[in-house]
Amino acid sequence: MSAADKHGHEREHAHGHGHKHGGDGHTHKAAPMVEEITDYEVLEIAVRELAIEHGLFTAEDHRKFTEWAEAVGPAAGSRLVAKAWTDPAFKARLLKDGTEACKEVGIDWAEPTGFGTPSDYTNFRVLEDTPTLHHVIVCTLCSCYPRPLLGMSPEWYRSTNYRRRLVRWPREVLAEFGLILPPEVEIRIEDSNQKCRFMVMPVRPQGTDNWSEEKLAAIVTRDCMIGVALPRPGRTTDIHPVHKARRPVQSAAQHARAAE
Amino acid sequence: MSAKRTIDVGPVALLEAIQHQGKEWDVIAPRYGVTNPNPPWKSSLTGTCECLSVGGTLPALERRKAEDVLADSIYREVPAPERDLLALAHILLRRGLVTESDLAERMHTVRSRLQAG
Repeated sequence: MSAADKHGHEREHAHGHGHKHGGDGHTHKAAPMVEEITDYEVLEIAVRELAIEHGLFTAEDHRKFTEWAEAVGPAAGSRLVAKAWTDPAFKARLLKDGTEACKEVGIDWAEPTGFGTPSDYTNFRVLEDTPTLHHVIVCTLCSCYPRPLLGMSPEWYRSTNYRRRLVRWPREVLAEFGLILPPEVEIRIEDSNQKCRFMVMPVRPQGTDNWSEEKLAAIVTRDCMIGVALPRPGRTTDIHPVHKARRPVQSAAQHARAAE
Repeated sequence: MSAKRTIDVGPVALLEAIQHQGKEWDVIAPRYGVTNPNPPWKSSLTGTCECLSVGGTLPALERRKAEDVLADSIYREVPAPERDLLALAHILLRRGLVTESDLAERMHTVRSRLQAG
C-alpha cells in the first residue's frame, strides 16, 4: 500500500510490494499511489518550512494541529445526538450547556491548545428540532463550524453559494440537497460566528425504537447535524444527488465577466 | 478588525505557473487510480493555517475573507484544496511574510529533496 506522511510525502509502506511476509504468510496487493510530485505538494512544504524558519510557529505546534485536524470527524457529533435521544437527563444537560455536556462523550472544546483553536473555543449550542421546527446551520461570514464535533467542514459549506443563498432561499437550497420540507415546518437558519457554534439535533426518526446508541449514531450523519438532511433508518452516508441551483447567486466579479 | 484588510489580487508569477499545470488532485488522482478524496498534504495545510491563526500572524477570519476574494478572482478556476493553498501562499507573499524569490528557491530545494535517491 502507499501512504503519505503528514508533510505530504508519498512514501513506500513496508507492505507495499505485494509479497508474502509475516507469520501468517498473507499477501497484500499494492494499492495505487500518485507516482509524481506536484508543485502543490512542494508548495505546501515550502510555505510551512519558511513559516517555521521565520519563527511564525514551531514544527511541534504544526504537528499538534495537523494531528488534531486528522483526528476530528463527525462521529463525535453522532454519538452526542444518539446519547441525547436515549438519555433525557443527558439531553437536558446538553441543551443547557453544550460545551460541558460534550465532555461526557469525550469532546473537550479546549483541545488541542488548552484554550481551543481561535475559531473553535466558543459558546456551543445544540439546536433541537421538533416536528414543526427545523434548524440549519451556516456561517454567512466565513466558514465557522463545530469542528470538535463534526470534523472539518465540507467544501460546499464553505462555498459562497451555500452561505449566501441559504439565508435567502432556505427551502430551495434544502431541496437542492434532496430535503423537501412541508410548508408547515418552520425553518430556522442559525448563523455561526467566531464566538458561537451550533449543531442540529434532529428529531429521532420513527422505526428506531429499542435501537442501541451505536445503531442510532450510525444514521446521524454529518449532513443531519448541519441540517441539510434528516436521519432515517437505512441512511448512513451523506451521498446525495446534486441538484442544479434554481437561483444561483452571482458575485460582482461574475456579473462583470458575464458582461464582457 | 484586521479582517477588513484587503488583499491585492494581482497575479503572482510563481503561483500563476503552478495553477496552470493541471496537477490538481481531482485530475491526477484518477489518473493513478487513487480514490482518496483529498491530497496527502491537505491536513498539513490545515495545520499551517491553524498555527498562523493561533500565533496571531494570520487570523482565521482574515484568511477566509482573503480566500473568498482570491477564489472569486484569480484562483476561480482552481478547485479546493489547491485554491486554499494558493491563497495562503498569495496572502503570505502580499503581506511580506515570505518573498517570492525565497519561496521559489525553497520550492526548488524541497523538490530536490523529495526526488533524491
